[in-house]
Amino acid sequence: MSTPRDSGCTLTGALSVTTEIEGSVTIIHGPSGCAHHNFSLLHALCAGRDDPRLPRVLSTDLAETDIIFGGEDALDAAIRRAAGKNPSIICVLSTCVTGAIGDDVEAVCRGFSGIPVISIPTAGFLGGGFHQGHVQALTSLSSLAEDDGKIPSANLVGEKTLETERDEHFNEVRRLLAAIGIPICTRFVCRTSVGEISRLSRGGCNILRDPSMEGVGRFLEERFGTPFISSFPIGSRGTIQFLEEVGRVFSLDVSGAIAEEEARQARIFHEFRSLRGKRVRFCDPSGNRTDSEVCREVASAAGMSVHPEGYPVPVPEPFPVGTEGIRRLLYRWRRACRA
Amino acid sequence: MKQIALYGKGGIGKSTTAANLSAALACRGLDVMQIGCDPKRDSTRMLMQGRLIPTVMDLVRERGDTDITREDIVYEGFMGVRCVEAGGPEPGVGCAGRGIIATFQILERLGALHADVVVYDVLGDVVCGGFAMPMREGYAEEVYLVTSGELMSLYAANNICKAISRLSSRSRSTCRLAGVICNAKNLPREEELVAEFAKRIGSFLVLYIPRDQVVQQAELNKKTVVEYAPSSNQAAVYRELASRVMDNRRMDIPVPLGIEDLENLAYEYSP
Repeated sequence: MSTPRDSGCTLTGALSVTTEIEGSVTIIHGPSGCAHHNFSLLHALCAGRDDPRLPRVLSTDLAETDIIFGGEDALDAAIRRAAGKNPSIICVLSTCVTGAIGDDVEAVCRGFSGIPVISIPTAGFLGGGFHQGHVQALTSLSSLAEDDGKIPSANLVGEKTLETERDEHFNEVRRLLAAIGIPICTRFVCRTSVGEISRLSRGGCNILRDPSMEGVGRFLEERFGTPFISSFPIGSRGTIQFLEEVGRVFSLDVSGAIAEEEARQARIFHEFRSLRGKRVRFCDPSGNRTDSEVCREVASAAGMSVHPEGYPVPVPEPFPVGTEGIRRLLYRWRRACRA
Repeated sequence: MKQIALYGKGGIGKSTTAANLSAALACRGLDVMQIGCDPKRDSTRMLMQGRLIPTVMDLVRERGDTDITREDIVYEGFMGVRCVEAGGPEPGVGCAGRGIIATFQILERLGALHADVVVYDVLGDVVCGGFAMPMREGYAEEVYLVTSGELMSLYAANNICKAISRLSSRSRSTCRLAGVICNAKNLPREEELVAEFAKRIGSFLVLYIPRDQVVQQAELNKKTVVEYAPSSNQAAVYRELASRVMDNRRMDIPVPLGIEDLENLAYEYSP
């Protein structure tokens, strides 16, 4: 799914995180409709990925009297109800109306112990859209992390859990890190356990999904002293640079891994040699003309030239990650060029 | 049916004025209903011999909003004045404005809003849409501003003009400013100042209510002045107010003053 990340509701962005925590229950503190819409969206996306799990979402189901007298009692009851399901964590998301009447969600959450109960402010009318909700959820959840010593491993920060190729992107980054001997500490957050979140500070480097997560990267850097890399690798040169960057952070010699990766890239361009000499132009998912340095780089490495009259080739959004991403991209371009 | 609303700064004497006005109207043989629209719920207390009647919101809290009858919320006080208190949430939680809106919906559903005169006594500041409810279509058509000559009180009255002016400019709105009532603090040239203020916002001074000890004495005895000391000068003033309100035909769309104009005006009349 290509999410309009700056629009939409902060609630949806936060849910894209909280429902990815294993064993979590998310409470949406507001009228039932807020939960219904978001549940439907998540359910549809899970079903689209053949993921049979139902997102565990509860609503405090507020009605007019709760708004007049305050919704804190209803929230307290909902947290007790959620605790009865033995979750690993309870995440409480606020909505527009509870934000407007000033329910002290944070204070209600603090009244519980045993199971972690985390308040994530997500009243949509305050602005910010889906992306802001994603960032807010990560920031709030980082309070679960214990301040531990570092081990040579990396965290992945801000994976877009609803994007179609998220597993491919993850596998590629994991492969690249494994090539230089760096394991993944915590996926923050995608199919993650509460235990993994609590170990977040042990990661020696935070690898952000893309530069829109730099706010979270800086926040975690201040909080735990963890340096960050701004993006998953994009394009052939970008992938090599990524290896160099990670190598620098961990003071590793990565020349062997780089040589191997360059060879892998060369094999891929050879595999798609039927594209050599093709004239192409780039199109975004809506079919409009687009251009970018990374597209030109891949086209040029594949021996193609860019021309206004060329075959229209698709540029997916987001751009596929790493060397394996290039393979999937060239596969699609080959079909578009009928080569 | 005549529906009037009293607005003004908190503590300026709206409830005292409203209760005495209702009492005086009832003494003229009119069927009067007074609705307190303030979570503090003490609007009708002096009409009820000091009793704090159960509020609409108390009942909603206890038993939900479907199981309420007219008898549960309407209480008969002095001279048959029917009293209702909206009530609201505990201070500091929830949404009192929404409580006022819900109260009006319940009163409508129960068909409780009928009388010769309905007097709405509203919270000091029109802090949100809920407290403007009595000014909306179908409710109070005549708004009276209660103010003293103190700058802060005039400032609040001027602010309320903004709400009246906004609401009355809507095409189907029938809400207008009917006049300004001066509830005096006994400041020098106070009557002149409030009269001039009323004129400048495009309205007029309905009546000057002097400050009198008997108001406090009546309150300590849990009665309105009209009931406690009917032969007093102050009771006569309230009866005069009732008479002027019944005869008043002024319905103005006010023009609020700028803050500087308001301050200059107050300065002109300072001793």
